[in-house]
Amino acid sequence: MHMGEIILDVRDQRTSFATARGMLAAVDGVSFTLQRGRTLGVVGESGSGKSVLSRSIMRLLPGNAVVPGGSRVILNGRDLTRLSEAELRRLRGPEMAIVFQDPMTSLNPVLSIGRQIMEVLMFHLGMKKRAARARAIELLTAVGLPQPDVRVDQYPHQLSGGMRQRVAIAIAIACEPDLLIADEPTTALDVTVQAEILDLLQRMVRERNMAMILITHDMGVVAGRCDDVAVMYAGRIVEQAPVRDLFRNTRMPYTAALLASIPKVTDPPHRKLDAIDGRPPDLINPPPGCPFAPRCKLADADCDQGKPMLEGPAGHLFACIRPLGQETAA
Amino acid sequence: MNAPTRDPAFLAIENLTVEYPLQGGRKVHAVTDFSAHVMRGETLGLVGESGCGKSSAARAVMQLPRPTRGAVRLDGQELTGLRGRALQQARRRFQMIFQDPVASLNPRMTIRDIVAAPLEIAGIGTAEERCARVAAMLEKVGLNADQAMERRPHEFSGGQCQRISIARALILEPDLLVCDEAVSALDVSVQAQVLNLLEDLKRDLGLTMLFISHDLAVVKHVSDRVAVMYLGRLCEIADAETLYRGSVHPYTRTLLSAVPEPDPEAPPHALSLIPGELPSPVNPPSGCPFRTRCPRASDLCASQMPQLQDISPGHLSACHHPLT
Repeated sequence: MHMGEIILDVRDQRTSFATARGMLAAVDGVSFTLQRGRTLGVVGESGSGKSVLSRSIMRLLPGNAVVPGGSRVILNGRDLTRLSEAELRRLRGPEMAIVFQDPMTSLNPVLSIGRQIMEVLMFHLGMKKRAARARAIELLTAVGLPQPDVRVDQYPHQLSGGMRQRVAIAIAIACEPDLLIADEPTTALDVTVQAEILDLLQRMVRERNMAMILITHDMGVVAGRCDDVAVMYAGRIVEQAPVRDLFRNTRMPYTAALLASIPKVTDPPHRKLDAIDGRPPDLINPPPGCPFAPRCKLADADCDQGKPMLEGPAGHLFACIRPLGQETAA
Repeated sequence: MNAPTRDPAFLAIENLTVEYPLQGGRKVHAVTDFSAHVMRGETLGLVGESGCGKSSAARAVMQLPRPTRGAVRLDGQELTGLRGRALQQARRRFQMIFQDPVASLNPRMTIRDIVAAPLEIAGIGTAEERCARVAAMLEKVGLNADQAMERRPHEFSGGQCQRISIARALILEPDLLVCDEAVSALDVSVQAQVLNLLEDLKRDLGLTMLFISHDLAVVKHVSDRVAVMYLGRLCEIADAETLYRGSVHPYTRTLLSAVPEPDPEAPPHALSLIPGELPSPVNPPSGCPFRTRCPRASDLCASQMPQLQDISPGHLSACHHPLT
């Protein structure tokens, strides 16, 4: 139970969906490891595969999802791809948990929030009702819900969006999981509430020595809240590095283009934004080479020859044969 | 320079109040006594968190629905008193773009019919002339008219649908364009394309804009001046650079400090906000609406509503205890 211990090892995760037009490769060969006490930010635009990746790790995929035999998700030394649904259910909670974007749909509208937390405690930890209720109030206190002893008997519709997300976090951490996945946890919330919820998640990860995957489309959220960042594009990780490295020494042209296209509060008004022309590729008929090549200003004919591998020196990985900063990289 | 005096403002919003009735005689105070002036060719950004009344204010400007009280004058013409045909005539001059580009386009109509609809309603031109104008407008918003005209909204991405919405809004050559969270549903790379397009169109067509968004960075990007709202009231208004660098209202400061910057060297600021929830707009607090969460609040804030005061030319703030 020390820092540095590898909790999660994802190897060549591939997740496709059968559609009317053919197979859609939503996650196309993703591999990474995550250590206890670390937060990995996974950032990408819609359709980049970040949410499908989180559900692939949790094994919460719909029936039309296809995962080939070579994909592995190893959590605490156990290969989740080999487990039955019943075995997985016992792990979701004590070993891994997820917080979704919309707490209104992830909470049950007809059960009090206390009941929803108690259910987890009684199922996984075998707690008796009275003890579970007391623990539920403790958890609601820990996540900063005001008047926890009153709120415990209330229903989701009686709470604001921020309060509901606090409840969802209380449920997720109830069994002290080793891995917490937060999938766009603040996208539906106002900025001031977002700051409070991100503070809370960071505190929980630190206090409980968990590992967290923070999935977001917001480069600002990633910059302030993560140790490492993986940038996804068209179902693949295209750059992965410690957060400062990624922002200061960006290698993948897509990451650079994404950063340049963000309006910043420090910019003067009316600055022309560096938009990325075109749109992400069709994942049913992806281009043969680098998926970003059709939109990339630095691409040449070689970029259309096969998909570049994710590799690089000293923990800074990028999937690009024409990376930026070539001259400065020793 | 644009303090609400007798300036010849192109869009003058005076004491705008929007109330929605509830059962039992109570009402939601969505917008209270909101005043702002926008000069011709200027973009006024309107920011605030959900429920602050920014969308209600924008819709009241559009007369959709009509405000409960107050005045909205566009180029000297009072809009709140207009009815029927007169309002329809006036509407040619102010158009709106909404947040959800897909939901705001009729899925059963072709792009040609969607963009031509305002012309048809206004009875402008023959079918052929309308078609030519639609084609020209589609090209102007960056779409290939030949390919787009006969297709339907589902064949386009979100960013392209927003371009179509913009084409529809601009086909009548309005003077005022109201954008309500117009880029909020778009990914950043596409958002940048649409923001650049709006800036180009504004310059080329001499548009005046009211730009509503919860995203402070986006608002700063397109706005000449910015107004901050909280619980239906105007807290602070100033030119964009002044507001972002030298705000004096505690709520504006809080809002700005909460924006996560895409820079790992800039650690998140501690929020100077009393934990708690936004008060209900059905029962707003007495005095200053922000006082229940404001670390600087005093007894005065509870007893007296702070009035807008001049901080510097064009910079107004409603606070008893402004920051320096």
